[in-house]
Amino acid sequence: MSPNSAGRAEKLGYTNVKVYHEGLPEWTKRNYTVLSAQFLKEAYIDKDIPNVLIDVRPAAVAQKGFIKGAVALPVAEIAANVAKFPPKDKKPPIVIVDDNGGDDATSAARSLISAGYTSVTIVTGGMNAWKAAAFPVETGTLATNIVYVPKPRPGEIAIDDFKKIAANTPANTLIVDVRNRDEGNAGMIKGAKLVPDEELLDRLAEVPKDKQIITHCSTGVRAEMAYHKLKEKGYNVKFLNAKLDIDKDGNYKIEKP
Amino acid sequence: MLLKRFYSITCATALTIGLAMTAGQALAQEKAAAPAMPQAKPTVAKICSNCHQPEAASLRGNFDSVAYKTQSIQIKIDEAVEILRFDKNTLKVANVKPDPENPSEPLREIKKGKEVRIEYTEKDGKKFATLVVAKPPIKVAPEKLMTTADVEKLVAMGDKGKYLLIDARPAPKFMEGAIPTAINIPFPAFEKMAGKLPADKGALIVYYCAGMT
Repeated sequence: MSPNSAGRAEKLGYTNVKVYHEGLPEWTKRNYTVLSAQFLKEAYIDKDIPNVLIDVRPAAVAQKGFIKGAVALPVAEIAANVAKFPPKDKKPPIVIVDDNGGDDATSAARSLISAGYTSVTIVTGGMNAWKAAAFPVETGTLATNIVYVPKPRPGEIAIDDFKKIAANTPANTLIVDVRNRDEGNAGMIKGAKLVPDEELLDRLAEVPKDKQIITHCSTGVRAEMAYHKLKEKGYNVKFLNAKLDIDKDGNYKIEKP
Repeated sequence: MLLKRFYSITCATALTIGLAMTAGQALAQEKAAAPAMPQAKPTVAKICSNCHQPEAASLRGNFDSVAYKTQSIQIKIDEAVEILRFDKNTLKVANVKPDPENPSEPLREIKKGKEVRIEYTEKDGKKFATLVVAKPPIKVAPEKLMTTADVEKLVAMGDKGKYLLIDARPAPKFMEGAIPTAINIPFPAFEKMAGKLPADKGALIVYYCAGMT
């Protein structure tokens, strides 16, 4: 919408209006972004939005007061520890905090951007700004392992729950395999029922309404479509959002991309 | 929740505009009157309704996923999900550059969240897509364009640079991280926030958002 905004500004009489049309996706390939302490709290922490918060101060300083969830990784160690970060294709939002939003944060950000991360943000004013706003701090030992779990999509079943159900499907539950016949013939999970996604709406009578339905396919894409179709018809349904390989004996391998 | 909705909207706006119910929708509601069915789904996402009206046999929303195995597409229209079947031999796809190594599956090149228009036919209550059009970028005159390097130079000047950098994305996206020195004037709030623009009409103003969406 930047071209539209620029057009409106020109209508108001502004004569030197430009548009950085490539915008943020290009900017973040080479540069960091910034947010205020307040925005870090409101946009990520209060909303529980998954992120990677890195405190780059020396451990002895950080221990005296840090932001909940922060992982300690002093600035000098970032470059050597890039492998500790989640895979870059997951595009984890990385937020960096130092004492004042200065050179340490910038240098840490640059290391991560060179490593290919495209969502690297620095807290303006660093911990000084966080403390000045009287936001809560924790003391003690900081985490050193980065844990990043993207938010599940609506209707997604936890992988562990799926494994439990696949191992021993309760009477009130039915696994519906929505892959096509060829895929089903090559091997299915024990107790699962094959209803290819494209036939699902024509074969609803075969899908019991009084059971918890779990759909799966081989990638999660068709399973999610099937989930939406069934949900719309009033089913109690979840889907497996993961790569799933099943051999002819029904043994399977799940991989969360 | 609010944030999640903005997530797929990228650069644009979320004006709440009431949608006129099409004849088709009214009919669908009537047919469905017997059991308590959910309300008729929207056919145009709010984001698209800034510029587009609902049309018969056409949907506008954000691309979600494609399954070539079952020849199905999933799109999101605000909170609602639409799934359409298609025939890969006859489906037309516009404004998409197919991967030369996989030219028969052009829908794979459309990114999740991209605004799309879909024309469809309906048979037995099921929608079959016949045309998928990805939203082309808005054209900007070359003399008005700034490159990443241009903006980097401005930002490096910081307070000394005589410019106003404006992020036109929705506030929740701005809050997650913005170009240093930028202020946020979301496009729908343009009028309301006009007071934030400089008094000098000749001052350099640079707008950006989430790219050419």
